[in-house]
Amino acid sequence: MKPGPAEEPAGSPVPGWREVARVYLKIGTVGFGGGYAVMTLIHDELVTRRGWLNEQRYDNMLSLAELAPGALTVNLLAVIAYRLGGVRTMLLATGALIMPSFLLILLLAGALLAWEGVPVVRGALEGLTAGVVGLMLAVAWELTEKFPHRWYYYAMGAAALAASFFLHLDPIWLILAGALAGGGKAFFTSRRETSGKKPEGGV
Amino acid sequence: MPLVTLAELAWSFFRVGLFGFGGGFAMIPLMQKYAVNEYHWLTLKQFSAAIALGQITPGPVAISATFIGYRAAGVAGAVVATVAVFAPSFLAMYLLARFYLQVRANPVTQGIMHGVLPVIVALILSVAISLNQEAVTYVWQGLVLALTAVLAVKNRIPYGFLILGSMVTGIIITLAGRHF
Repeated sequence: MKPGPAEEPAGSPVPGWREVARVYLKIGTVGFGGGYAVMTLIHDELVTRRGWLNEQRYDNMLSLAELAPGALTVNLLAVIAYRLGGVRTMLLATGALIMPSFLLILLLAGALLAWEGVPVVRGALEGLTAGVVGLMLAVAWELTEKFPHRWYYYAMGAAALAASFFLHLDPIWLILAGALAGGGKAFFTSRRETSGKKPEGGV
Repeated sequence: MPLVTLAELAWSFFRVGLFGFGGGFAMIPLMQKYAVNEYHWLTLKQFSAAIALGQITPGPVAISATFIGYRAAGVAGAVVATVAVFAPSFLAMYLLARFYLQVRANPVTQGIMHGVLPVIVALILSVAISLNQEAVTYVWQGLVLALTAVLAVKNRIPYGFLILGSMVTGIIITLAGRHF
């Protein structure tokens, strides 16, 4: 790892799609375990080692990726690929990123479904299920840190839980209702403070 | 008819991808709704296995769509489900990259995310509760669950390793013949 604070790499070369795809394939192969470790890996490969984008660009791309639905890593790498070489690079490079996982899970799915009845496999499944429920609790806990700690957000969450668990309402409607409530609140709040300064968004 | 199944896979997983705000785990509630409750492509236990094995791969949670597609319609189903679940991400990133400034300077964008996230938390909890009721029956599973949750917060240990650990625990307990 080369340290070096956010210096603009000299005449940062524009890589072709093959080069981007090759690096993405590597990230998709060794990025085991997900989460923070993979984010570090991405930053090391693209910013520190190759200088395909500078620190500020990286941070901007990251904040964009957080707005989109889906996995943060895939969103981040997709938008970086788009910036590097347009739609074609985005599709091919991100395809290369996903390919190793795609093949691995096909293999695992085949094996699991074929040997489902075997006691050891059943035991493995019981362990996996418990682990997944544990992960879901951890993820839910961490997501609560991404919205302001005000009573109405928690009230919305509680109402959504009741609506989903007891009334079995469609998750899509609940998500849209949350978006409408949150967006509407921000809209009216910003109108009330409209005479104030406007936030600047620089690239 | 496999073609009908492929169309159902495509449309279901496109919606799963489109509404997964807040990361891959946010997709799980909708995935369960379509794959288990509506189309019965797999049982709830198989579904939890699909999610778990998705954690073992280097890819994101969304890769569990591949597993479900394979179970529903073979390799073609796997391809269709995978493309469908990732397509909204590409679409969203393309649009965001083009309308970057408008989106970022807009306070409503942030407000929408703040409104959506509590709902996502509720939906994830709801799935966790139903999985727990259905498939966590032994005491040792409860212990694995609690330990995983504690170790996963703040990413102290990467998810993939935790899932591998819980799987190995299940195998050891089965081999030792000590289900408690």
